[in-house]
Amino acid sequence: MIFTEPKRYYVERRVTERMTATGASSFELYFARLRADLQGEIEQFVNAFTINETYFYREEHQLACLTSELLAARLNAKPRGAPIRIWSVPCSTGEEPYSIAIWLLENWPYVDEHDIEIVGSDIDTGAIALARGGVYGKRALSRLSPQVVDRYFTAVDAESWQIVSDLRDSVRFTRVNIVERAETQPHGQFDVIFCRNVLIYFDDLSRRTAAENLFENLLPGGFICLGHTESMSRISPLFEVARFADAIVYQRPSR
Amino acid sequence: MPLIRKPPPAGAQTGPAAPDSAAVFEALARGTDDERWAAARAAADVPGIVPALEDALEREQKPVVREALFSALARIASPQSIEAVVPFLRSDDALVRTEATDALLAAKEAAWPYFAALLRDPSVDVRILACGLARDMPSDVAVKLYCDVLESEPDVNVCAAAVEVLAEIGETAALPALERCATRFSDTPFLVFSIQMAIDRVRSQASGSRA
Amino acid sequence: MTNDAPKRVLVVDDASLVRLYYRTALESAGFEVVEALNGLEALEHLLGGHFDLVIVDVNMPQMDGISFLQTLRAKSLPVSSIPAMVISSEAAPKRVAAASAAGANFYSVKPLRAEAIVQYASLLCGARHG
Repeated sequence: MIFTEPKRYYVERRVTERMTATGASSFELYFARLRADLQGEIEQFVNAFTINETYFYREEHQLACLTSELLAARLNAKPRGAPIRIWSVPCSTGEEPYSIAIWLLENWPYVDEHDIEIVGSDIDTGAIALARGGVYGKRALSRLSPQVVDRYFTAVDAESWQIVSDLRDSVRFTRVNIVERAETQPHGQFDVIFCRNVLIYFDDLSRRTAAENLFENLLPGGFICLGHTESMSRISPLFEVARFADAIVYQRPSR
Repeated sequence: MPLIRKPPPAGAQTGPAAPDSAAVFEALARGTDDERWAAARAAADVPGIVPALEDALEREQKPVVREALFSALARIASPQSIEAVVPFLRSDDALVRTEATDALLAAKEAAWPYFAALLRDPSVDVRILACGLARDMPSDVAVKLYCDVLESEPDVNVCAAAVEVLAEIGETAALPALERCATRFSDTPFLVFSIQMAIDRVRSQASGSRA
Repeated sequence: MTNDAPKRVLVVDDASLVRLYYRTALESAGFEVVEALNGLEALEHLLGGHFDLVIVDVNMPQMDGISFLQTLRAKSLPVSSIPAMVISSEAAPKRVAAASAAGANFYSVKPLRAEAIVQYASLLCGARHG
């Protein structure tokens, strides 16, 4: 693995996690543990860096579903001129909300006819800060064509690219804990929510609360997309199943 | 560029105001669907709300609102709130039974003291539902409860529900009771099969943990 | 799909050992079996694949069998008319009536013998003699 400057925060986070997990009170103590491979720490260390990696155009089939089915369904249900609101939560370091923006600009024929508001939110303020900065390395961009990289990024150095300022300025980033209604409710109601790979980590009660919060943040008839290995069948009874060619998504019932 | 960035709505940082208790009581009793939903979501923070939640549940027809009412009771997690949920296990509406079961599971430790009695309820249907509830209890306590069921429960489906959870928990302490139950119900192929599968799972989990 | 293709059964029950028992019985008789642990997961499968029969329990987390049947029958899709057998521990007439009203084609009380499951499944999938 190659770690470039934008990854420094990511690396620090992971090392801190391993120090906490092993009870190491200093980096020296942790490093000694790593060198001795105590209790398989090398493997743990590697795992910490390779799971839950995020990159642009992850789960592309859901983005395809967005432009092929979901937006049309939402436009049918909304008054003319009402903006389309899309929420990416958790947004981590911003790959997902920026991916949604780029995907729409690249793939949705009607993108110029509608106002689209994209919000990215995460509990981690460090991740939010990085998202606002919009600087990414080669690995994060690996699914994007050179033409797309050219259009939406400027090279910062040999290993880093930054989202163009127009696009960075168009996405609003906020801090939110999805279990806290006082924090979720002010975000208003959305047409589509992407909430991937987080609900499954909560206990039953927190999961219920988070699902209720997200329900509240959806317009009637709005859609919520989970991670491709996740299902509402293990999370909440509030949403209806909506199966499309590209993806299974869930829907808040219309009035 | 069609992407627009709106400033956050005025007052966005503060979120909903602390619930006005009187308004919550009022909305639970007489509100529109949206008002009852909002009241149910705010209810867990309102002192003395449990009887009002019970009343609301008796009348509520909308599953979405009921879910929030049950969530409030699960979140309050007092003996009074758990006792408010338990009667709904007997509902004629399958969805209400499911909602009550899920709420008791979400309430975790607060609901545990009630399971031993529910496992001895006069209704077979309630005893079956109760078997699903103790799976998150500390395993030694759960194993004892379920083994007691296997030793003395007359209904085969209640035993099957207990076997299902014992297979999940995987403690070898359950093996003798499992074997005795299979003998007791030797004429019921489904239960004999289930117990054999459970014994296999318990044994393989036990040998796995010795590795 | 030819007449020789194996019939596909969706088995819906939150108890893994119940699903395993049905799977063992049905696969031995040549059926293909897919499992779901509640009504919501069952809908996800049904909306995305071809099935000849759904066997469904009543009491399951998140979405029970009655709500599942009501939701399924209310959709105006080809899959909405799939044969559905409810197999439940509940024997009371009002429980049977509720399942019937929700759209069950057949109701049976647990525990079922393997031979009976296969027999009913074959019937509901349109078995012919000979």
